[in-house]
Amino acid sequence: MNTKRMRLEPVIFHTLNGLLMIAIAVITLYPFLNTFAVSLNAGNDTIRGGIYLWPRIWTDQNYKAVFANGHILNAFWISVARTVIATVLSLFLTSMLAYTLSRKDYVLRKPITILVVLTMYFSAGLIPTYFLMKDLHLLNNFLVYIIPGLVSAFNMIVIRTYIQTLPEGLIESAKIDGAGDFRTFISIILPLCQPVLATVALFVAVGQWNSWFDTFLYASSKQELSTLQFELMKLLSSSMNLNSSVAGSSGADPSAAAQNMVTPVSIRAAITIVASLPILMVYPFLQKYFVHGLQLGSVKE
Amino acid sequence: MAKAISRKSASADLPKSSLMKKLRSQKQLLFMSLPIVIYILIFSYYPIWGWTMAFQDYSPAKALSEQNWVGFKHFAFLFTDEAFLRVLRNTIAMSLINMILGFVTAILFALLLNEIKGRFFKRTIQTVSYLPHFLSWIIVTGIVASSLSVDGGIINILLLKLGIISEPIMWLSIPEYFWGIVGASHVWKELGWNAIIYLAAITSIDPSQYEAAEIDGANRYQKMLYITLPGIKSIVVILLIMNMGWVLEAGFEVQYLLGNGVVVDWSQTIDIFVLKYGLQIGNYSLATAAGIFKTIVSITLIFAANSIAKRLGEDRLI
Amino acid sequence: MGVYKTKKAWGAASLVLAAALALSACGGGDATTAEDGTETLTISAFISTPNQAPTEDNRIYKKIQDELGVKLNMEFLVGDLQQKLGVMIAGGEYPDLITADTKLVAAGAVIPLEDLIEEHAPNLKKHYEKYWNRMKDSSDGHIYWLPNYGAYSGEFSSNAYNGPAFWIQKAVLADAGYPTPKTLDDFTKLIRDYAAKNPTIDGQPTIGFSTLASDWRTFPLLNPPEHLTGHPNDGGVVVDDGVATVFADKDMSKQYYKELNTLFNEGLFDKEAFVQNYDQYLAKLSSGRVLGMFDQKWNFQPAEDTLISQGKIDRTYVGFPLVFDTATKDHYLDRPVINLNNGFGISKNAKDPVKIIKFLDSLLDEKYQKLLSWGEEGTDYMVDEKGRFYRTPEQRKEQEDPSWKLANRADGFYGAAPKTQGTFTDGNATGPGDQPEEFYASLKDEDKKLLDAYGFKTWSDFFSPAPENEVYYPAWQIDLVEGSDASVANKQMTDTSLKFLPQAVMAADGKFDSVWNDYVQAFGKINVKAYEDRINEQIQWRIENWAAE
Repeated sequence: MNTKRMRLEPVIFHTLNGLLMIAIAVITLYPFLNTFAVSLNAGNDTIRGGIYLWPRIWTDQNYKAVFANGHILNAFWISVARTVIATVLSLFLTSMLAYTLSRKDYVLRKPITILVVLTMYFSAGLIPTYFLMKDLHLLNNFLVYIIPGLVSAFNMIVIRTYIQTLPEGLIESAKIDGAGDFRTFISIILPLCQPVLATVALFVAVGQWNSWFDTFLYASSKQELSTLQFELMKLLSSSMNLNSSVAGSSGADPSAAAQNMVTPVSIRAAITIVASLPILMVYPFLQKYFVHGLQLGSVKE
Repeated sequence: MAKAISRKSASADLPKSSLMKKLRSQKQLLFMSLPIVIYILIFSYYPIWGWTMAFQDYSPAKALSEQNWVGFKHFAFLFTDEAFLRVLRNTIAMSLINMILGFVTAILFALLLNEIKGRFFKRTIQTVSYLPHFLSWIIVTGIVASSLSVDGGIINILLLKLGIISEPIMWLSIPEYFWGIVGASHVWKELGWNAIIYLAAITSIDPSQYEAAEIDGANRYQKMLYITLPGIKSIVVILLIMNMGWVLEAGFEVQYLLGNGVVVDWSQTIDIFVLKYGLQIGNYSLATAAGIFKTIVSITLIFAANSIAKRLGEDRLI
Repeated sequence: MGVYKTKKAWGAASLVLAAALALSACGGGDATTAEDGTETLTISAFISTPNQAPTEDNRIYKKIQDELGVKLNMEFLVGDLQQKLGVMIAGGEYPDLITADTKLVAAGAVIPLEDLIEEHAPNLKKHYEKYWNRMKDSSDGHIYWLPNYGAYSGEFSSNAYNGPAFWIQKAVLADAGYPTPKTLDDFTKLIRDYAAKNPTIDGQPTIGFSTLASDWRTFPLLNPPEHLTGHPNDGGVVVDDGVATVFADKDMSKQYYKELNTLFNEGLFDKEAFVQNYDQYLAKLSSGRVLGMFDQKWNFQPAEDTLISQGKIDRTYVGFPLVFDTATKDHYLDRPVINLNNGFGISKNAKDPVKIIKFLDSLLDEKYQKLLSWGEEGTDYMVDEKGRFYRTPEQRKEQEDPSWKLANRADGFYGAAPKTQGTFTDGNATGPGDQPEEFYASLKDEDKKLLDAYGFKTWSDFFSPAPENEVYYPAWQIDLVEGSDASVANKQMTDTSLKFLPQAVMAADGKFDSVWNDYVQAFGKINVKAYEDRINEQIQWRIENWAAE
């Protein structure tokens, strides 16, 4: 009887678990598919509601409106550049700091940790920060996307916690081999930390990619530095504005225009799809670093 | 096991030596960390001079020396408003609900996903589950509101069909449901995203531990309970401590978008309050005062949580 | 192997870093290089209405540049205006032309314009002559802003009506034999009768009356009482004999919400009204089953457009100027008012204010006004043998295409700039929407039939003609001063109303009065006087300073 249960249990578990996962996938996929359907549905028709997974009146007008913007390609490359550069730099610096603070014998460990941790719990406010950027000549400068967010306390803690779970013996043996801390960090810690670095890379990249507020505050008067998210924000707010102003002035036949109308809801849907598709590609790519036993394999080498 | 060894060796290798000598031997660590510390001092700490705004009727048009100093007026406005206690209650309740629901669901999800055998299936689920993170709250709340509608909302239809209710419920007009709806919306949007960190942590567990357990005849649940969970315990504890500090950060977007006049006593958070009476009417001072209040509470809480963790022998944030 | 890998990665990282530095270096240089030898003046402008930047080769801006030698470098608002202005003021960095905000005057960011206009801008002087005193700042008597709307010339014809009204479905009117409801009672009777006869519309339950109180769109719920008592739209107050009073907690409001409560208990009031967001409200209206509501036309226009495109003309709405009793004269339709504290000002950082004001002055020339509103003759509009402007169906369609507009219209700038409204000297309306022929072209047969039944030509005819505006009108334009007690009280009043009014309207039979008393009590705790005092002080100021015109 016992053996029978043993054989039956995995089947039941995997069936139930699989079903649960599919259910989760369905409810988390739904909002995205819904947004996609809305983005392909005529704006005027979307107002009626009742769009679920399939457009009722197909149109490419919403996407045309998004790509009508002549600056969008340049903005896309700026977004890519800031995301790639900031992710690489931030990953390196954050993990380096995390390594030093994971060293239990490091004299300055505690004061530095407190100093870094506290930054998560206060914000100086908009205006003082603006002054700082101005004084550092970062206004209307590409570096304003990179420099201010280089080291995140949260990510540092995540990496540090991971490093602390690594077998200490590895570091000790590297020390015995005569490696300094920097070399230990580069040649032992970094390769061992691949899963957590992939995680943090995702956090940083997504944050960078989605960010528009820094463009708004620090670089909005320089079109060449505009980011994709900022261009899309512009489009969204202008479509909201358009909606109330057109109503005020237009005597034109609305039914003729109906097929062409873009509404804030449909524009927002198209924007969401355009803005998120590129960054969505990042996770599946990073997933290959989420593999069991990675560290042991590389240590043995 | 590895940890025990390391603790021993770390303390054994540390002979009592002068601070200077230690510093000299840790030259590389200093070089690796001090530039970053300076960077943090400049970008995070230096602008704190802006906190002086909380004690002024700040006007951006004036220089610092010309500002009108008003002492604790803005703090007084916050604390004496009769709505404040209620707003504080809502904020704490919603962030605790979000936190607990968020932790539990994300950890469970990570554990169960980890049991999935097919690599392709697993990665697909993983990717799909984090999609809602990329939708803005306005889209998500739009879907939530229409799903909860009495007028063809899927939730009501489903519950009616299952015979659980006999009449559609106006979910968003019942104040007591509001916190739960906000919590559920958060789970929906952030489940996959929150689980990423645990999925990464699970990979750090040595596979040989599972093999050893299997030889000992441990079943699936025992392995989860005695290997996987302890394996990610340190990150869970650290995240919990960190999150304690954000207990006053319940946000404003969801509550603003889902809330309405009927449920306002349960939906208003500190951030909405500050937005309405501060930023929207150009009162930076009030917003700054609220920020300072939140910081003081946060720092108290994380130090408290940290020392509790220390006493329990758990991993610590600081 | 691990070492090798990371080395490679680090190499890639430094490469990327180098690229970043190179990129930022290019970014640092000034990209605007002077083309050929001609002198082109570049004017920078910040505009607070969100818009997309026009395309580089935009036809209209190019024409302006070619003919007037001015290149516009515009930045449009994205995100929150207060935040943007806050950092702009703190940093002291302003563009040449800047969108109006009282904050900027307080910050000394803009220069007085009256002398500049007198000396260099005859067109502007003439354009604003009638409003000169009103444009003066109430604190120091200078003119800082050039209002962008409301300065009329020639005849003003309003065909469509976009303002506030009680709206009722055309089907309800047709069913009742085209009556003219005058009072709230007439209106609710029409709804009751129709709903009794038609419990469902297109298979879904009929909703008698709905309202909206979501986000900033609270006027459908809060404004009706002032209109029902014959007052024009003064926002949160009614003004009698120059004295403003908050009405939200007064008997006139009680009477209205009591009526809604009755509708609610009869099952005619939309149960979800207070919970729904704007999108849900529009969806509901466009399903064609909401018989009536109070709203401003522009607010629910998208729903009307959707109904029309579904061919449900009989489910679109006609607005009526209801009052409590027939002795009261309705005052829904008002005369256009000058849009004070809006439009452009010239910042203190502008290098050549004279050239800027001259540029704005030349744009007021009818030639450019036509270019900005109608477009180019032959391309964007046609002229018939009588000299009347019109658009062909294809041209109308183009005007609705957002991407076409980015390349062929100068809307972003035109919206914020001084402009002629009313009619041009040749008798054509200053905008296509106001040209009567264009209006009739847009009317459906069903609409023509309905207008004929009432003997009317336009939707505005349902309203009493607008009387002369009081000097101080409208009170909602009064600046409450940021962070003042008045502005705090204003927020608190709205919050209180939004919290209690739904409870009152949805109160069970007989419970209304006790909820209303709670409401009045909660209202009593607010410093309403601070708010009223500020409004009254400004009304008095306006009477003293503007009456002389």
